[in-house]
Amino acid sequence: MNPIPALTIQDVATLDGALADFLKKTDSDLTIVIDRGGNVISQFGDMDLMDVTIIAALAAGSFAATRELARRIGEVEFNALYHQGNGNHVFMNSVDDDTIMITVFGSRTTVGLVRFYSADAAQRVASILKSLRRNSHGLAFDAKDISTASIFADP
Amino acid sequence: MSIINYASREIQFKIVYYGPALCGKTTNLNYIHQRINPRNRGDLVSLATATERTLFFDFLPLNAVVIKGFVTKFQLYTVPGQVIYNATRQLVLRSVDGIVFVADSQWEKMEENVESFSNLVENLARQHMSIEEVPCVLEYNKRDLPNIAPINYMEYVLNNNKKRLQSFEGISSTGQNVFAVLNAVSQILLHKFSKQSEAPHATPPSPGIPADNVIPENKRARA
Repeated sequence: MNPIPALTIQDVATLDGALADFLKKTDSDLTIVIDRGGNVISQFGDMDLMDVTIIAALAAGSFAATRELARRIGEVEFNALYHQGNGNHVFMNSVDDDTIMITVFGSRTTVGLVRFYSADAAQRVASILKSLRRNSHGLAFDAKDISTASIFADP
Repeated sequence: MSIINYASREIQFKIVYYGPALCGKTTNLNYIHQRINPRNRGDLVSLATATERTLFFDFLPLNAVVIKGFVTKFQLYTVPGQVIYNATRQLVLRSVDGIVFVADSQWEKMEENVESFSNLVENLARQHMSIEEVPCVLEYNKRDLPNIAPINYMEYVLNNNKKRLQSFEGISSTGQNVFAVLNAVSQILLHKFSKQSEAPHATPPSPGIPADNVIPENKRARA
């Protein structure tokens, strides 16, 4: 049996609290916490803006790719990345060895403000995740709960 | 690494399509994207060159309800098959839950198949994982081409390990067995996380292909 790492409702509420505080202070649109494999751990803000799953996969790829670039100039990694658009922008910062935080923001705020508060938010998120990993919950469901029908069908 | 969120009642799994260059990994994802109900999938994202060769990865998110009470999100990735992009393959393999190894059935591609499979084993080892632990199925693709190796030979070359993998004949360009392969790897990985940890079809009964999935000779298209 291989339990799946699980976030309880309380864990998600704690993470959401930290992310909500960060969004309020920075007036950003959306923030997503992902692992470096591209899985979404938590998200907060206006989820209708975009497909969060795709943003997570691309951001994990972008972060990983620039890590190699950082190594070429003698750094372990770039601990923050900023992609500037015309109206919408993305800021990404490292939370810990396994986790990245992505912030999407528009013209109501500035990259300086996002960058300033992201350091504190990342520390809070890292501390929460560290505690979660220490007291990790796991889920292993019953085999009978898995649908026996074809999961995906060719219509 | 899969993760479950009790607040949104979601479980996420990452499945990577691996294999040599031009074996049909992206074609598998394209077919799935075209055929699956748009309500149950996101956009297909391709980070490719101008000539449509995969540069970084292709990505397709799928949703399904397969575990009672939870939405299951499957994230499908491909890796770039070209030898020079090994660093990228290592990045995409990070946190993988299930693997589809797509082999090109043409005789002249056999060496590349073997190299790519060895490369997969090496890259998993870098993440302290082994092919025996990770749910993995084999797709022997391009069975419609004229110069293909017999299945027994492909089994001997690619599926001769301690743990035999479930394998399928496929024609990804027409969709033949594309969904069967996806369903097989999904079921194996779901059962890995269940309280009865043995997957129902993790070990094929005999060398070769599950009988239901063999394409009859008279149905194989010829180029």
